[in-house]
Amino acid sequence: MKIPIKIFILLLSSHTVFAAEGQGSAGLPQMDITTFPSQLFWLVITFAILYIFMWRVVIPKLSTTIEERKDKISNDINEAEKFNSEATSILEKYEEQMSSASQSASDIISESKSQMNDYFENLKLENEKKIAEMIRNSQKMIKLREKDSINEVRNATLETVKEITIKYLDKIPNDDQILKKLN
Amino acid sequence: MAAGNPIDPIHQFEISKIADIQIGGLDLSFTNSSLFMVFALSTTVMLFLVGLSRRSIIPNRMQMLSELSYNFIANMLRDQVGDQGRAYFPFIFSLFMFIFFCNFIGLIPYTFTVTSHLIVTFAFAGLIFIAVTIIGFVKNGLGYLRIFYPSGIPIFLAPLIVPIEIISYLSKPISLSVRLCANMLAGHSILKIFAGFTVMLGFLGFAPLIFLVVLYALETLIAALQAYIFTILTCIYLNDALHPDH
Repeated sequence: MKIPIKIFILLLSSHTVFAAEGQGSAGLPQMDITTFPSQLFWLVITFAILYIFMWRVVIPKLSTTIEERKDKISNDINEAEKFNSEATSILEKYEEQMSSASQSASDIISESKSQMNDYFENLKLENEKKIAEMIRNSQKMIKLREKDSINEVRNATLETVKEITIKYLDKIPNDDQILKKLN
Repeated sequence: MAAGNPIDPIHQFEISKIADIQIGGLDLSFTNSSLFMVFALSTTVMLFLVGLSRRSIIPNRMQMLSELSYNFIANMLRDQVGDQGRAYFPFIFSLFMFIFFCNFIGLIPYTFTVTSHLIVTFAFAGLIFIAVTIIGFVKNGLGYLRIFYPSGIPIFLAPLIVPIEIISYLSKPISLSVRLCANMLAGHSILKIFAGFTVMLGFLGFAPLIFLVVLYALETLIAALQAYIFTILTCIYLNDALHPDH
């Protein structure tokens, strides 16, 4: 509250001093028209120089710099986009190759699997044939041996029966009679 | 005047001759006002010369500063006026830089604020007013008079609306110039008064000193803001001249 009062008093005193001292002159320096021609004259000169400087030097240079920068930025962006699309296409190609490679790999795997199966199948068939042949041969042999052994047994029996009858009957029966009796 | 009074807030606006020049009976002396116009001019020129000295795609700080100011004004003009405003860009850009640096240099103690003089701001405003009026009539012919009678107003309101529109049109340069000048005048006077208090009150001077710091920040804002307002209003007037149908 103190300060505004002080301001008021001081303002008042300064104004009274100013009014008292400025009685001879025009009051505010802004109202002294004798200074107007000089102010206007120098304003026109300085502002004209500034205007020409801005118009001829600053604005062309600044606008070209700004345009150049804009161009550079847009060029760089275009280039970056180009590189990006190139990279994308390379990636696509790579993925394509990868998928085709894996495709052919799986083809090779399945082919060799089927080849392997065929080979085993053939091997199995061949072996089965061989085994069957061998079985047949063995069976033949077994049959032959069977006949042989049957004949041997009969002959042996006949011999035995002949020996027995000779010992006890002194008579040699012929084979047919013996066989009749035995059966 | 008032040299002995440490807090005469008006003293800083006085114009004193540095070199006496009389041409054809007119007093065209080089004054402190002229000196600070030259300062504002040379500061702008220096800013752009340094900013443009080593132009590169990736800007350095000074180049950044000059490009920022360029883009700021270019965007303002494009937003307000559109593409037809391109032809007036050098003027708008120069106007902004000149007023901006006049305002800012004036904030430095013991300097002179060029834009605190009504004749300077009125010269700009008058030039803009005359130029805008000429542009309006050249681009639209007599159709430019439509700005005094906005479309959609019933005819019986015309006797009321048209004089109001004419008065508001004619008062544009006055409001434009007085706004800038009064802001600078009032701001700098108050700064000076508080600076005077700080000295006069001795030990107690810290209280006005705090005010002074706050006010100085505010005045810095106002210096930039008034340059912006002056420029954007110029753009708006220009837009009215190019497109009189609201």
